[in-house]
Amino acid sequence: MKVGELTNEVMTDRASAWAVECHDLHKRYGNLDAVAGVSFEVRPGEVFGLLGPNGAGKTTTIEILEGIRAPDAGDVRVLGLDPWRDGRRVKSRIGVQLQTASLYPYLTVGELIDLFGRFFPRRLPTHQVLDMLELGEKVDAQTRTLSGGQQQRLSVALALVNDPELVFLDEPTTGLDPAARRSLWEIVRRLRAEGRSVLLTTHYMEEADALCDRLAIMDHGRILELGTAGELVNRRFHEQAVHFTAIPGMEAAELRSFPGVARVAHEDGEVLLYTSDVPATIGAVLAAADGLGAAPTDLGVRRPTLEDVFLELTGRALRD
Amino acid sequence: MDALLALTVANLKSFVRDRAALFWTIAFPVIFVVLFGTLFGGGTARFRVGWVDQDHTPASAALEQAFARTGVLSLKPMSEAAALAQSRQGQLDAVIVVPAGYGAAVARAHDEGASTTGPTSSSASPLLPSPSLTLYTDPTRTGTAQAIEQLVTDVTTGVDQALSGRPPILSVQVRPLSGKPIVTGPSYYVPSILAMAIMQLGIFAAVPLVQQREKLILKRLGATPLPRWTLVGSNVLLRLVIAAGQTVIILAIGLVGFHVQVTGSWLLIAGIVALGALMFTALGYVIASFVRTEEAANGVTQVAQVLMMFLSGIFFPIELMPEWMKSIARLLPLTYLADGLRQVMVGSSPFVPLGVGMGILGAWLVACLAISARFFRWE
Repeated sequence: MKVGELTNEVMTDRASAWAVECHDLHKRYGNLDAVAGVSFEVRPGEVFGLLGPNGAGKTTTIEILEGIRAPDAGDVRVLGLDPWRDGRRVKSRIGVQLQTASLYPYLTVGELIDLFGRFFPRRLPTHQVLDMLELGEKVDAQTRTLSGGQQQRLSVALALVNDPELVFLDEPTTGLDPAARRSLWEIVRRLRAEGRSVLLTTHYMEEADALCDRLAIMDHGRILELGTAGELVNRRFHEQAVHFTAIPGMEAAELRSFPGVARVAHEDGEVLLYTSDVPATIGAVLAAADGLGAAPTDLGVRRPTLEDVFLELTGRALRD
Repeated sequence: MDALLALTVANLKSFVRDRAALFWTIAFPVIFVVLFGTLFGGGTARFRVGWVDQDHTPASAALEQAFARTGVLSLKPMSEAAALAQSRQGQLDAVIVVPAGYGAAVARAHDEGASTTGPTSSSASPLLPSPSLTLYTDPTRTGTAQAIEQLVTDVTTGVDQALSGRPPILSVQVRPLSGKPIVTGPSYYVPSILAMAIMQLGIFAAVPLVQQREKLILKRLGATPLPRWTLVGSNVLLRLVIAAGQTVIILAIGLVGFHVQVTGSWLLIAGIVALGALMFTALGYVIASFVRTEEAANGVTQVAQVLMMFLSGIFFPIELMPEWMKSIARLLPLTYLADGLRQVMVGSSPFVPLGVGMGILGAWLVACLAISARFFRWE
């Protein structure tokens, strides 16, 4: 139903208008339900994120969609085709980046891109791929000499050699420093600007927030929530938190009586007031502090994040 | 096809740029050939000849000295029966028999030379048959046989003329040695070590395979439209190309450095090398089917290659092994590859007939393919 309400108006289009359709997908490894009934769709031209901790089933889901793993049950369509039965046709039109180290350490960047291009019926010129990923300077460098960020850009470059309509990026920024991460974000945005659909997995909340048009939060092989980042936060949290350093004499009972406050929490010497009316609450805090002859320090407002959504949904932090 | 070639070229580039791989497949066997060739080859080429003197006259002694002076023949006096037996075991390259009556014939010719005036009257004493020196050589070792034959003819002609001052009275009758000798020295080590190199090349295919699986490279390639047979095909092509390179290099060292005489057909040698490379590459896939980590793959291939290296008659002939070791050797495919290469390249006596050996290699190949097809996992 989460999916239905978001997609109703597009449903009238023919089915292959979806970049990805995935309905009630299941995959079991021994006793472990790696994917236990996952359903979602990716619209053409959008960046869709699967957000969840390690072991949530993101990689298994994405590998089934890439046609390199067979599902146990469920309906899967990628660009209108069954990725397992129609593997070669699907693989010709999608771009895949895996959590892979260096592929052929002794080949140069140019040689590797050229080699991959030959695997596909349709390909972009090597220099164009190099330019897209800003790897032109490294064309003659053996891939084993590349930095982590360059390696990651190369693995994205290899996903683009066939000019794909849909690009899968599996944790594209894991292990990268902040600068390299931002440079990859720029590349993802450019892919969307070029009209390609992108399905990425990540366990970085801020990455999902920054890149994804829509996202699904996964844990234990299931999708817990699906929507835009804003929708997910607002669906769970109607309040924002006003926080300041605890002031002696300001009692919990008094705090709870402030306008708009639904809940009071104490954390490391800090007071958190969950409120539906931020200005009124701040006014009351200032007045009360004044009455005690004190001024609140480190006063601020915190908007709940996807991290809080995840914590709320699963009772644990994303990166545990 | 384009993808297959591109992948093979990429693999070859990777191979050549990876100094470690290059060392183990090329430099390592070359070091072995040079080491064993030098240690057991006696350096310069000397032919071991059984010297059977049935005459026992000063003339036959003079002939023996004349042969010894060439510096190329090392003569060992013995009986004819002993000489033929030893040459069958590969301890001799040729046998020379000086018949009884040689000294008398020389003396007679000398007398006639003194009494008659011109050297032109050649047909001396037509009533007495001229004694004939018998030379046994191994016709399968064409080069060696020809060289010895030429040498022996030259020496006997020279000695004749010096003794009699007349054209030769002693003819040389060449006879084949019955049974092929077991070759020794560089002729033994060059084909054996070539077989060893091909075995290593093949089974070490397991290591990059497991590595590529562990690092998800096989999975990444599986996400392209590339058919899997292309991956296997390029791997096999790569190993065939490298095997050809190994063959050329090791043979060149044997031919140039150690004067090994290659007597067999080059086409047949190429065929055996190709069959061996295919079979051992398939064995590499079998190993990769059962080990998960790169470390385990390294360990298993090392153990397998060392066992085969020492139990397949690479460094010493199987005939010299104790019975229990022989029965292990009979089970190992490298035994038959090395034996086949020795038979074809240097005419060594067969451990099993060539057809049987190649049949066993073929059976190993089919078995390895079946096991890999059943158990090999791409991830």
